[in-house]
Amino acid sequence: VREPLRVAHLTPAYFSPDSVVGGGERYVYNLVQSLCTVRGFEQCVFAVGAENMLFEHNRIPVRILRNESPLPGAMDAFSAALWRDLRGFDLVHVHQSLTLFGAYTIAIVRSLGIPVVGTDLGGGENALMLGRRGLELLDGALSISRYAHDLIARYFSGHHEILIGPVNTDHFLPTAHVTRDRRTVLCVSRIMPHKGIDRVIAALPSGLRLVVAGRVYHESYYEMLRSMAEGKDVRFVHDADDTVLLELYRTAGLFVQASTARDVYGTAVAKPELMGLTTLEAMACGLPAAVSNTGALPELVPDPRFGRVFSGQDDLTAILREVAEGVWPRPDAAALARAHVVEEHGMESIGRRLAAFYRAVLARPRRSG
Amino acid sequence: MRILFLTNLYPPVVMGGYEIACANVARGMAARGHEVRVLTTWSHLPLPVDDPAWVHRGLDLHWHLPHRSSDATVDMRDLHSAVCSSYANTLHLLDSLRGFRPDVVYVWNLIGIGGAAMLDLLNQIGVPWVLHLMDRVPVEIASSTPACVLGLFDAQGSALYARAHIICMSQHLLDEIETMSGIIFAQGADLVPGAADVSAALPHEPYLRDGIARFVTAGAVVEHKGIDLILQASARLKAEGLAFAVGVFGDGELPCYMDMARAMQVDDRVCFLGSRTQPELMRLYAGYDAFLFPTWEREPFGFAPVEAAGCCTPPIMTRNCGASERFVDGVHCFKIERTVDDLTEAMRCVAANRADLARIGRAAQRLVATDLSFTRCLDRIEAILRAHTHPWSQAAADDPTLPLLAFLKHNLSVSLRFG
Repeated sequence: VREPLRVAHLTPAYFSPDSVVGGGERYVYNLVQSLCTVRGFEQCVFAVGAENMLFEHNRIPVRILRNESPLPGAMDAFSAALWRDLRGFDLVHVHQSLTLFGAYTIAIVRSLGIPVVGTDLGGGENALMLGRRGLELLDGALSISRYAHDLIARYFSGHHEILIGPVNTDHFLPTAHVTRDRRTVLCVSRIMPHKGIDRVIAALPSGLRLVVAGRVYHESYYEMLRSMAEGKDVRFVHDADDTVLLELYRTAGLFVQASTARDVYGTAVAKPELMGLTTLEAMACGLPAAVSNTGALPELVPDPRFGRVFSGQDDLTAILREVAEGVWPRPDAAALARAHVVEEHGMESIGRRLAAFYRAVLARPRRSG
Repeated sequence: MRILFLTNLYPPVVMGGYEIACANVARGMAARGHEVRVLTTWSHLPLPVDDPAWVHRGLDLHWHLPHRSSDATVDMRDLHSAVCSSYANTLHLLDSLRGFRPDVVYVWNLIGIGGAAMLDLLNQIGVPWVLHLMDRVPVEIASSTPACVLGLFDAQGSALYARAHIICMSQHLLDEIETMSGIIFAQGADLVPGAADVSAALPHEPYLRDGIARFVTAGAVVEHKGIDLILQASARLKAEGLAFAVGVFGDGELPCYMDMARAMQVDDRVCFLGSRTQPELMRLYAGYDAFLFPTWEREPFGFAPVEAAGCCTPPIMTRNCGASERFVDGVHCFKIERTVDDLTEAMRCVAANRADLARIGRAAQRLVATDLSFTRCLDRIEAILRAHTHPWSQAAADDPTLPLLAFLKHNLSVSLRFG
């Protein structure tokens, strides 16, 4: 295989207020950056938008193709211009592979005879790709957690890798200049019922303060949270930019991610947490974490010295009581959390393993008769 | 060569010259020792006893159906299967590619069998293919399918046809396709005209026997072939007291036109004689003085006037139809504007013995025996197929995921179109 290998990342939307500001879109940029830490690759990002456009993101070309889909959803966008624009690429990585975008795009890439890798970022559950086995057209699947892996494993029999991350550990890092408030518990997430913020407020003991950072996506749920927070030390931050967020990560004493597969209203949630990037970002900043046993979250905290997993309200209450009493986490937890993220989920670590995965896929094409 | 013919219809089920020409060429290639397989649709008609074993009638036909639904969505689904994608037919094609291993796929009329998906499959596999255009098939595919669906098959522009070698029966048809669809055949196209085998033609009988002009036409009895023009011109000639008769061969809207002839009081001059086989017509033409072909201007070519010309029966043809590219006005034929006035004047000229029918008939026969001879056209087609044949990776056809890919595309096309 000649080098540099030309890799195209295909995503229905790009991280921008002009498109979508979401975890899936940020993930694509992060993954591209991780591969930049490895030599031998040239990359380009293709996304779909209102008009054709070309710009750079961290020196990676980003080509926006005009949306040709008759459907309004961001995950339903697609462009047949890929027939022309993908020629010359050695490998294509289709993000959001379980959406209409993923199905349409994989059909084109596969027709072009270019090896193709897919990743589910939670944007859909297209029946053609799952039950009708469209996923088997992939030469490889990259899952962002063991949980995400298991969700599609029965639909895909090829080369399947798990890479949790990457996290930009050069950006998300602790600082010695700021003193941590060990009594501050931090939640960073969109304010939605399945994020389980109500569970954190309910379990919050006196003596601990809770900061909830995130935009409101569910007004009545937010009202309920405010009602629950009366008489407790709870603060909501809705407009935290990157700087404020980093500051919160660096000054809090514990990060809590309490997502749930069945929310406070009794509604079941499909694929509640495929990865949980904010937990990794918090840990990269030296923040110990307590996470629910939902989705992929337990995979993020394999060592109880810096991360705990709770399965119910009693568990969470007990953990927060230990925090309030100073029993957990121990003083070395911050360094352990940071080291774990750097080693397992950092840019260089993920980039190295991603490169190996791409090369393995190219070495073992699935389509020969 | 191992030649896989792909065609929507095949005798005994035919609609017009396209299918008959395909069958003639297939038989001709087989007779020349090539290994031929025809992949086509079922026949509801009894097969002739000598139906070749190499005709495989496994495809489903989604067009030319006897019943149309009152539900527009049902009709649209049929149309989609007819011009865009029929999954079962795509799989049949794949099976033929795997089983027959052709050197070249020779594609004829695709309407009715899900053409876009089939051509896409040929492109994916990389098998050499030649498209023989006798009608505006690419226009029908492009205009009957939403752009977002076409995009699944790389059929939004010219790319679907870029790997094909194109044979077209007239420049007229080629221009029409390129103008109406925007599809440009940048690779070029070989013009192979409609042809006739006149080896069994009978010597022509004396012209204007007994002072009566005998006109003939053959083909679909429908408006665009100019049947109503023929009736109107006949009415005028009759009113002028000229001695003439018109024989109309073919099926179509016979009751309508028989009524019209009666209403115009020309039913004593114009006879609707039903369908005849090609060989029967070739024998009959020798008894007529001129062939009437006031067809619509988008007529891709027209086999019947060529066959008549091959029998020394000069055609009276629309000035800018496909066949007119090969015939010179006043030398091989009479060209007319497609009006009652012009057709009447041409028929009057014949009936009044103001045209040298014998000279024009001989020249027309000579033209068909040379430039428009079936043998010569078959030579050209054979050379084109041979030139376009090249080794292709047969392992590509064996890719076990091809049915899955075709399935995905087919179902995406359906869901994008119908929700």
